[in-house]
Amino acid sequence: MTEANPLALIVDDEVQIRRFLRAGLELDGFSVEEAETGHEGLRLATLSPPDLVILDLGLPDMDGSEVLERLRAWSSVPLIVLSVRSNEAEKVRLLESGADDYVVKPFGMAELLARAHAAMRRHVRVSAGEPVVRIGPLSIDLAARIVTVDGARVMLTPKEYRLLQLLAQHAGNVVTHQFLLKEIWGSPHLHDTHYLRIFIRKLRQKIEADPTQPRILLTELGVGYRLVTPETAAPAAAD
Amino acid sequence: MTRFDRLQRELRGSAIALVMVGAATLVVYVLALSLDIRRGSAVYLLPVLLAGWHLGLVPALVAAVAGVLLSGYFFFSPYYSFFITRPNEIIILVLFMVVAAVTSHLASSMKKQTEIARKREKETADLYAFSRRLASSSSAADIYRAIEEHLANLVQRKVVLFGAGATARRDVQSEAPALSERLHSAIAGVQEGRIPATTVDDGGDVWLVRRVSQKNPDFGVIAIDLGSVPADSVQQIRQHVDDVLADAAATLERLDVARALGDAKMRSETELLREALIGSVSHELRTPLASILGAATVLSKSPAVANDERLASLAAVVRDESERLNHDIQNLLDATRISRKQINPHNEWIEPQDIVNSALERRRRHLSGHQVRLEVDSNLPLVYVDPVLVGQAFVQIVDNAAKYSPAASPITLAAKRNGSNVVLSVRDEGAGLTAEESAQIYERFFRGSRHLATTSGSGLGLWIAQAFVSANGGSIEAMSPGAGQGTTVAIYLPFVSPTTAPEADSDD
Repeated sequence: MTEANPLALIVDDEVQIRRFLRAGLELDGFSVEEAETGHEGLRLATLSPPDLVILDLGLPDMDGSEVLERLRAWSSVPLIVLSVRSNEAEKVRLLESGADDYVVKPFGMAELLARAHAAMRRHVRVSAGEPVVRIGPLSIDLAARIVTVDGARVMLTPKEYRLLQLLAQHAGNVVTHQFLLKEIWGSPHLHDTHYLRIFIRKLRQKIEADPTQPRILLTELGVGYRLVTPETAAPAAAD
Repeated sequence: MTRFDRLQRELRGSAIALVMVGAATLVVYVLALSLDIRRGSAVYLLPVLLAGWHLGLVPALVAAVAGVLLSGYFFFSPYYSFFITRPNEIIILVLFMVVAAVTSHLASSMKKQTEIARKREKETADLYAFSRRLASSSSAADIYRAIEEHLANLVQRKVVLFGAGATARRDVQSEAPALSERLHSAIAGVQEGRIPATTVDDGGDVWLVRRVSQKNPDFGVIAIDLGSVPADSVQQIRQHVDDVLADAAATLERLDVARALGDAKMRSETELLREALIGSVSHELRTPLASILGAATVLSKSPAVANDERLASLAAVVRDESERLNHDIQNLLDATRISRKQINPHNEWIEPQDIVNSALERRRRHLSGHQVRLEVDSNLPLVYVDPVLVGQAFVQIVDNAAKYSPAASPITLAAKRNGSNVVLSVRDEGAGLTAEESAQIYERFFRGSRHLATTSGSGLGLWIAQAFVSANGGSIEAMSPGAGQGTTVAIYLPFVSPTTAPEADSDD
């Protein structure tokens, strides 16, 4: 990110949606560009590479997932998808093909901004090599492989650490079951969600104050897990 | 009956006739030897008569010919040879042949006449019983059953009724796969009124297809399997079917079944139309709703509004109400999905507490006016369900608890193990249920009359929750000690153990 305002590109055919997104993003300190179609969006993204892309799936000229694929061919820009409800399979597919996160229509601006900031921070962390992820009392040093809660060291098994590491790298954004299963247990276990449930349960016992009422490691039903930062936790309560 | 069947029957009859002739020969031959009777040929009329009566014309003629040959062999000189030398004996044999032929013909046609008379008598009795049954019928279902049974009895084969209201629909479903394409198109043709009646040759079997009533298409179509019958008897059966159906149609008219069936048809069409409308309208409503909700949340954060308490609360009203509207639209869409049977669970292993916690997360603001308590057992078994459907069902129950209990009253969300079930429950200290409400609470669109004026709602929530839970093999139960004494709604999810466990995690 440069010193100037970060640039957000909105790709959505609904003028009213673009209008409030622009207002909300500008209030939050973004400069905004709008595209009405997928082709226009791809063109603008090439002309002036944005720091954030908000992509609606229902575009008139091409499928949102195609825009995502073409963009991902050359850019790792943080990207949030605007999705409709009750289609968890589609959400998972988009996350697998490179979307950083999604929000479900209708959504509040705070929720979108929280997801967007989390995705952008990850980008910075990767490019700047920031090793430590802090989430409330939890701190994960990805370089030293040290996990602490309220300053006290937590001992994790290798698989538990790998799980937490993957979630921490995407802190604030959702990580799909399939991604976690593939990274930790390998492709043959893509559908063994019970492996994941058991390790998440163990992990929660080590990092949550009350494992039956998690505050840090949250479940997105039917999609995956999200390690919440205070920012991402806030909108559901206060929006 | 096929030609092959007939041939087989005639052959068997002829064989029996020959056996009888043989027996007669034996008897006569013994008599002839012991009593020195030389004119035994008349005895052969007996097997001819018996064959004509019981076995038909062809076996009788076979018996006659065999009789002539055998008596020529045994009883006319020269004996034990088919040659006959005396002219008078030849005349006797020719006479015998003629008498035998006439006898066999008489016997078989008499038999036929008797059979026809008996059949007519039975038909008349059946028809009479049918008329009496019609006269005492009080519903269309009775009449259709009577028609079906009577005609099935008449033709001794399959009878199928189509499209006559709810009574006949079951037949369409149960019989349809067995009927051929050609027959289906004939039935459709008759149903649409292009032709009043037709016969279809369906691979050797003749089907008679016609409307139950020639005047009123609403009474449906009947298809009767006649088997392989000659054209003239098709005509005869057709006449009989016409008589039966004329009688039945008159009774249907009398019962005013036409109007009832018409109403039912219109109701189901209206239902379809309504659901299509709900589906499309809901999508159309959601798009502007997304803009309204989004704009309200941007407004509430803009300095001009955020710094003015009154404006901020107005922005909050817009946000809350659009969320409520969104929730109602979602319910309508879900209800439409349920009635179209489009609920297909995508099961996965789920931590039961995740369902409770994510409902709490989604409804945090809704519940902020209540004291929320959580009672979650640690180490609950995993359940294999669709997390999204069960999650939505649980949110519905949480919403109801928040809606029907006073502000600041406690609401307890629990996840516990109970025998072979995991039980997710919501307990409130609110309006409770009367006995009458408990009985009706799972019905679609049901709302307690006590709450109609004070609390808004569609009466869909619990109905949807129940549909979602039962699609996952679970069940739902609402319990209340009585009005004003709080309600507990529980979702029971059966659990089974995962087949494989993850390999032990080493500490290397």
